[in-house]
Amino acid sequence: MAAPGGPRPGNLPPGYMPNSLANNMQNLQINQPNQPQSNNPTGGVSRPPNTTPFGQQPPPFAGSRPGPPPHSAFVRGPVPPSPSGPPQTTLSPNVAPARPAGPPPGSQPPPPFVSRPLPPGSLPSSMGGATVSLASGSSPQLGPGPHHRPFVSSPPMSGPAAPHPLSNGPPGITMAQLQAGPRFPPVMGSTPRPPPIAAPQPATMLSSGSSSQRPQLRPNFGGRPASASLATTHPGPSSAPPQNMLPPPAPSPFSAPIQSVPPPSGSPYGMQTWMSQQQQVAPPPPVPGLQPPRMFGMPQTHPNQSLAPTSPSLFHTGAAGTAQSKVDPSHIPRPIPSSVVILHETRQGNQANPPPPATSDYIVKDTGNCSPRFMRCTINQIPCTVDLLSTSAMQLALLVQPLALPHPSEEPIQVVDFGESGPVRCSRCKGYINPFMKFIDQGRSFICNLCGFTDETPRDYHCNLGPDGRRRDADERPELCKGTVEFVASKEYMVRDPMPAVYFFLIDVSTNAIQTGATAAACSAINQVIADLPEGPRTAVGIATFDSNIHFYNLKRALQQPLMLIVPDIQDVYTPLESDVIVQLSECRQHLELLLESIPTMFQNNRIGDSAFGAAIKAAYLAMKSTGGKLLVFQSVLPSIGIGSLSAREAEGRSNISAGEKEANKLLQPADKTLKTMAMEFAEYQVCVDLFITTQTYVDIASISVIPRTTGGRVYYYYPFTALSDPAKLYNDLRWNVTRPQGFEAVMRVRCSQGIQVQDYSGNFCKRIPTDVDLPAIDCDKTIMVTLKHDDKLQEGSECAFQCALLYTTVYGQRRIRVSTLSLPCTTMLSNLFRSADLDTQFACILKQVTGEVPSTPLPQVTEQAKNLCINILHSYRKFCATATASGQLILPEALKLLPLYTLALLKSCGLRADGRIDDRSSWINYVSHLSTPLAIPLVYPRMIAIHNLDEKELDSSLIPETVPLSSEHITDEGIFLLENGEDCLICVGNSVNPDILHQLLGISSVEEIPSQFVLQQYDNPLSKKLNGIINEIRRQRCSYLRLKLCRKGDPSGTTFLSYMVEDKTPSGLSYVEFLIHVHQHIQRKMP
Amino acid sequence: MAAPELPQTDPEGIEGVRMTWNNWPRTKVEASKCVIPIAASIQPIRPHVDLHVLPYIPLRCKSCTSVLNPFCRVDFTALIWICPFCFQRNHFPQHYTSISQTNLPAELYPNFPSIEYTIPNYPQNPQNYNPAVPPSPIYLFILDTCMIEEELDFAKSALKRAIGVLPDNAMVGFISYGTQVQVHELGFSEMSKVYVFRGSKELSKDQVLEQFGLGSSGGRRAGIGVQKAGGQLSPADGTANLGINRFLLPASECEYTLNSLLDELGTDQWPVAPGNRALRCSGVALGVAAGLLGASTVGTGARIIALVGGPCTEGPGAIVSKDLSDPARSHKDLDKDAAPFFKKAIHFYEELGKQLVSQGHVLDVYASALDQVGIAEMKVAIERTGGLVVLAESFGHSVFKDSFKRIFEDGEQSLGLSFNGTLEINCSKDIKIQGILGPCTSLEKKGPAVANTVIGQGNTTAWKMCGLDKNTCLTVFFDVSSSEKSDSSGTNPVLYIQFLTSYQSSDGQTRLRVTTVTRQWVDSAVGTEDLVQGFDQEAAAVVMARLASYKMEMEEAFDATRWLDRNLIRLCSKFGDYRKDDPTSFTLNPCFSLFPQFMFNLRRSQFIQVFNNSPDETAYFRILLNREIISNATVMIQPSLISYSFNSLPAPALLDVSSIAADRILLLDSYFSVVIFHGMTIAQWRNMGYQNQPEHQAFAHLLQAPHDDAQLIIRDRFPVPRLVVCDQHGSQARFLLAKLNPSATYSNAHEMAAGSDVIFTDDVSLQVFIDHLQRLAVQAS
Repeated sequence: MAAPGGPRPGNLPPGYMPNSLANNMQNLQINQPNQPQSNNPTGGVSRPPNTTPFGQQPPPFAGSRPGPPPHSAFVRGPVPPSPSGPPQTTLSPNVAPARPAGPPPGSQPPPPFVSRPLPPGSLPSSMGGATVSLASGSSPQLGPGPHHRPFVSSPPMSGPAAPHPLSNGPPGITMAQLQAGPRFPPVMGSTPRPPPIAAPQPATMLSSGSSSQRPQLRPNFGGRPASASLATTHPGPSSAPPQNMLPPPAPSPFSAPIQSVPPPSGSPYGMQTWMSQQQQVAPPPPVPGLQPPRMFGMPQTHPNQSLAPTSPSLFHTGAAGTAQSKVDPSHIPRPIPSSVVILHETRQGNQANPPPPATSDYIVKDTGNCSPRFMRCTINQIPCTVDLLSTSAMQLALLVQPLALPHPSEEPIQVVDFGESGPVRCSRCKGYINPFMKFIDQGRSFICNLCGFTDETPRDYHCNLGPDGRRRDADERPELCKGTVEFVASKEYMVRDPMPAVYFFLIDVSTNAIQTGATAAACSAINQVIADLPEGPRTAVGIATFDSNIHFYNLKRALQQPLMLIVPDIQDVYTPLESDVIVQLSECRQHLELLLESIPTMFQNNRIGDSAFGAAIKAAYLAMKSTGGKLLVFQSVLPSIGIGSLSAREAEGRSNISAGEKEANKLLQPADKTLKTMAMEFAEYQVCVDLFITTQTYVDIASISVIPRTTGGRVYYYYPFTALSDPAKLYNDLRWNVTRPQGFEAVMRVRCSQGIQVQDYSGNFCKRIPTDVDLPAIDCDKTIMVTLKHDDKLQEGSECAFQCALLYTTVYGQRRIRVSTLSLPCTTMLSNLFRSADLDTQFACILKQVTGEVPSTPLPQVTEQAKNLCINILHSYRKFCATATASGQLILPEALKLLPLYTLALLKSCGLRADGRIDDRSSWINYVSHLSTPLAIPLVYPRMIAIHNLDEKELDSSLIPETVPLSSEHITDEGIFLLENGEDCLICVGNSVNPDILHQLLGISSVEEIPSQFVLQQYDNPLSKKLNGIINEIRRQRCSYLRLKLCRKGDPSGTTFLSYMVEDKTPSGLSYVEFLIHVHQHIQRKMP
Repeated sequence: MAAPELPQTDPEGIEGVRMTWNNWPRTKVEASKCVIPIAASIQPIRPHVDLHVLPYIPLRCKSCTSVLNPFCRVDFTALIWICPFCFQRNHFPQHYTSISQTNLPAELYPNFPSIEYTIPNYPQNPQNYNPAVPPSPIYLFILDTCMIEEELDFAKSALKRAIGVLPDNAMVGFISYGTQVQVHELGFSEMSKVYVFRGSKELSKDQVLEQFGLGSSGGRRAGIGVQKAGGQLSPADGTANLGINRFLLPASECEYTLNSLLDELGTDQWPVAPGNRALRCSGVALGVAAGLLGASTVGTGARIIALVGGPCTEGPGAIVSKDLSDPARSHKDLDKDAAPFFKKAIHFYEELGKQLVSQGHVLDVYASALDQVGIAEMKVAIERTGGLVVLAESFGHSVFKDSFKRIFEDGEQSLGLSFNGTLEINCSKDIKIQGILGPCTSLEKKGPAVANTVIGQGNTTAWKMCGLDKNTCLTVFFDVSSSEKSDSSGTNPVLYIQFLTSYQSSDGQTRLRVTTVTRQWVDSAVGTEDLVQGFDQEAAAVVMARLASYKMEMEEAFDATRWLDRNLIRLCSKFGDYRKDDPTSFTLNPCFSLFPQFMFNLRRSQFIQVFNNSPDETAYFRILLNREIISNATVMIQPSLISYSFNSLPAPALLDVSSIAADRILLLDSYFSVVIFHGMTIAQWRNMGYQNQPEHQAFAHLLQAPHDDAQLIIRDRFPVPRLVVCDQHGSQARFLLAKLNPSATYSNAHEMAAGSDVIFTDDVSLQVFIDHLQRLAVQAS
């Protein structure tokens, strides 16, 4: 109310909980199934010690782990940078000088082995280690060297690139270079030869790497001289990484591969660590001034390098067969997860800083641009013209996750209250005030960075400008210096009072649900979760059950016991009471508990097999209509009766094969529009539906999922539901669902600078008008893809801004506007685009687009499309950015080198396989629609780790052992492997596993005893503790409890497990190597 | 009242039949000249001390199905009886072989024109027959919750009391409603369970059953496996019955549940916008109740007992909009066709009535509200099913409370509520039946005795009476077929009519009451003497009242007053003794002498002067007029007045304002209300408390006497009349004044003695009326 000028961040309203996001992370319940109850209240806190890192405050963090601890780590990094191994030195000359700050990472290789220790110095060592391993790996196998190297070559690429440390301000160019960094190490590893090669040549060898460099170089040179800054970027990426990196994680991964002699994996790991390191590079504030000159020098070196390497490309035009033989599977690009925490400043030197990979662990410092968690772009430079974009064949899209969970060490988002007048906005485009609005005329007016309009500064908001042209108060006002702020919404943003948090639980009690224990599981989960619902006088709860009727319950306190109200008209439903069906939580706790306990027994003998699902949700909606809120539905069988009833189309499809074949994808479409219409209505009244499907049969997810999709909810799918192992997950899913950071009655709009406009939004929401999306509920897990299109040319050298505004109501009933602004440079250089491509985002985007096509397009076309997306990008790169390379080579842009692998994985994923169950596919498709970028990758390319040898590894810092490539050749009979994709977690037990280990880990004495239903328990032995620690860590990372399942080689469960081995050759799919060849052939065919 | 004219104290006798004409004119033409239609008011199951109950099946004529009766000619040697209706010769069966002139079965005793048979089996549903367990009657209570808390509490406590006195085996169900209908499942032990139906949607019986999971075709309840096979389930095989037992439980089992349920039941929760009526879906509630009962075993007697607290404003059967500024329809609106809801609601209740009749179930309505609740619309359903109706101002009022109590009472006070009655009428040739006014429904059973013209429920010789009780009374309108062949007239001077009433008595037995009556044919062409002697003026007055009411309802723009006047004049012209055009010469035979006064009072009564009442009240009065016995109906038309004073015994007084005196107490019984009226002096004495002084015991007795008499009247009556105790010049005195003949009005007040009263009205007094009548009657027409 006070000065419209806008209270300072300090004036936060009491209710505000900036840290709520972070705090909530702790809420992700990670109980062991055997003790779910006890954890319940304290769940968040009681996490096993190991998993705590996030939960804890920075201090512990730093201690136990590679502390992200910002500055000290950074500072140190640079210090140690003593000249390292020879190879590096070769490089270092180029690099090192460039940046004073960044110690040449490669230099330290030797220490790594020795030094696990925490000291920062170790970091570099780890890097070195990686390099070594690579080298070793490659050298043995690649006898002749040159050919293989091509793959290896990626490092070389990085080499050249590396010099330009990502760390430094110069934003645009970094990507490719960064990656280059890692490559060096490999070089180092191959000590014998490498040294010579290392410096200049290595780069050449790596086809992909090299190519990437070229583009960079060009821009630098050809580019505007003015862009000295650009040049700076190039320098010493290698050096920078070490600084940022947190010591511990790196070492472990490396060590393992090294030991195993043939380890093909070695190299990949190395590479990855590097990559991550580079990105992390939050260089210690280097003196920019010094660098530029060197930068110039650098570029020159690059070109040389890049040109030279042409020879190495792996793939010759020769026949595929031969090619295969030449390709060493162990050296093809693979993702290398890093547990190193990266520190990321969103802008440096007034330049956008390309974000770290979405899948990595990073801490963001908001220095102008919003955190990449909230919004990231598929390309970190915006092509000035539509032609340039289409030439690149890449997607231009934003992935927006407006309420994403922050890292606990990140600063909370600041809340700004402008009082009654509301936040300052552009009067033309209504864009919100942000750091990129330019104040002119002594601050009397400002130019909107979105539409270019000049607005008058509101009188109360006026402030003089400093000599640098910025407002003097810019640094004190969050909205002028932070990429993300939250505004307190004034009256004009409310059409009604902010809604209370309303939770309505709808439980299936038909015969099937009762008998399978689904009802009991749901009731128990709800009963436990009640305690976690947001406290507050307005929080209200309702409950209903349904079979062929709908049963509401009057929970009014005055009644002696709940009163069951049955709505029998399931064609034309209504709510049985005006009030009292939804009651304030504080008034009905006892009744609610009583009721939830008695529901399973009350319906124990229910003989009604029918489910009036559609009618039930409609009725529940009617009960909630006046407020809106969350409708959580527990459904077990196909809706067979009443409004929106469905038929068992799947069975019909099966019995009529010929028709089924022709229109297989029809089954993935909703059966009719009834539910869609209903869903639109729900959304209009702010009712968000989440479905928990606990079933053993076909329930036509394709049809019913329309409801959660349209209302901002999601489908949780438990198939086949078992009363033994699933209740724990159900409970945890439910708990996370209600405790995670979220908002209600939200509206989101993304605004772009002139020249770019939003083409479409996709995700789980309801869209009524083209510009906005309506989100009855939005939570930290939901991501919305925003595709962009040009409607004009962009000015080169300018920046293009994207602003996502989310108006929502918090669970405590405050109305807020969260505004995230991202400003990216514009470029006319194709190579810049490739260099700044964001692989994870790019792929998430492809994933969503392709998946979106599946229901409407025949599968062969979809797979073709997916392949083409990949091929076209690579082709474009090959054609325009790697022209110098021999045509026989497959050259991958460094930034996108994993694209083929991910594409292959995508082709083999559940949703794109014709052989899967329809519901599985539908569920997968639905899952993808709201999936966040960090979870998109593991979904198609799961993480696999070996857990039979846990005791051999020291996991002091990083809990998760190094990953194993998804190839069956890595799955040994003696091993136990754990594979997880964010939702499911399969543990595959080999047939000749050491029984002792088996017993310690899983509590069974032989492979034969593997139960079909598995409950993870913690036994009193270190192995089991470690396993539990690992799984809990994964759960925490994924914000998902995971469906655990034991698999055994040779039986169907083993087959399931093997189906995740995406690199294998399967009857219907190519192996990774084959796929690369396949891609290569296509590219060549396209080349003139 | 009118004691001298009625020497018999029990005019109905064992037959329970009173006819307007006890000697019938021979021909149609003659009949029409009689002015008053030939009609019989019958009381089908009238209790009588001499009534014999025979524990066997009656013998029926093999051609006309009439039952063996005292008027049959019996040939004891040949063991043959001859049906008096169709003259068919029937053989007695084997077990009658021992009969002889001296050994007659009861049904042949001439002094038992009425006799009752107990039918030992249950013909409609042989599978379910179990002699030990007669089917228990069902009581389905429906409670409106759209009322103020206080009213609801009254209603709830009335219900509780009722449930407490129900026989243990009576099946009980409960439905509450407001904006929505809530059907309470009583057989669910875990918690209170309620089926909720929306008030705005009309549901067919099948839909209701389907939604209760009781449908015979819907497999919703049967579970997955049986879904497709559901069609084969027949309602009789027990499955349906099993289902309905969730809702209907023996009173002994559900009393506790119901009581606690009623304790928790609050007023309707749906909000009522200011300026609006509560949304009340009486129509749907009744529809759902009827549907629910449809699942009960066919032939089981059932009553829907609805306690209604206001007008239906939601869904089918709505009578008024929810906007309070929009008043409920009045007679004026109905006349002008300005009642937009009326026709639709009537149609709805007609259909509901049909459904209930087909199921054999009864609708009782207990309406307590200051506003109208829609009895006018519900009337059709109530009357067709033989239901009871009570209209009161409040559920706390004795009119409701005591009436409600009475229906469940046992023993002598019992109403003798019976179910599933069917009335059949056999009559001699030349007699046709036009129809019946009263609580019944035509079964459309065609036969030779069906007349061409229809009055009330006609076109049939059989009627359904879903509910009937000891006092239920029907008016049968007869016609004489114009028999040109007067030659046959001489042969048979006697006519016979047989009423066969089968019903399920309150104790569950199936009974058949056979009443055979005989009357004389007279040839009115010869002289009117026989006709005159056979005239029953009370019955005639009541029949005229019923017919006039019926015509007012059925015929557009029917002017009842004119119609009555015309008929009265015609009657007087025909049967009066007078010299033409000499009013002073006019005299009437004693058999007719009261009739003009009845007509005078009828013209002024609520039945004809409807504009003083709401349509609901009118409907209520008419329902009762049609179902009450003649003597009660007569009181409705012409109230009785008794005067109490110190100097004389209580004596009937003239129904005239001149009967009012300062030192008298008057007791007026107008059937719907009983008024005790204290003269001014009496009132003063009483106010001074003389009655409490020992020396004035006589005064106390005087005060008490009318109260005692009033209680006697009230005790026997259903619905319980409203008791009004008032003083001269008090506001409540209007209940008396309205009924009195205004012989003294403001226009001639100066002529009156002191202490008497005047009535401020322009109505003509009886004297004026009679004067006019005489003048008109003697005019040559």
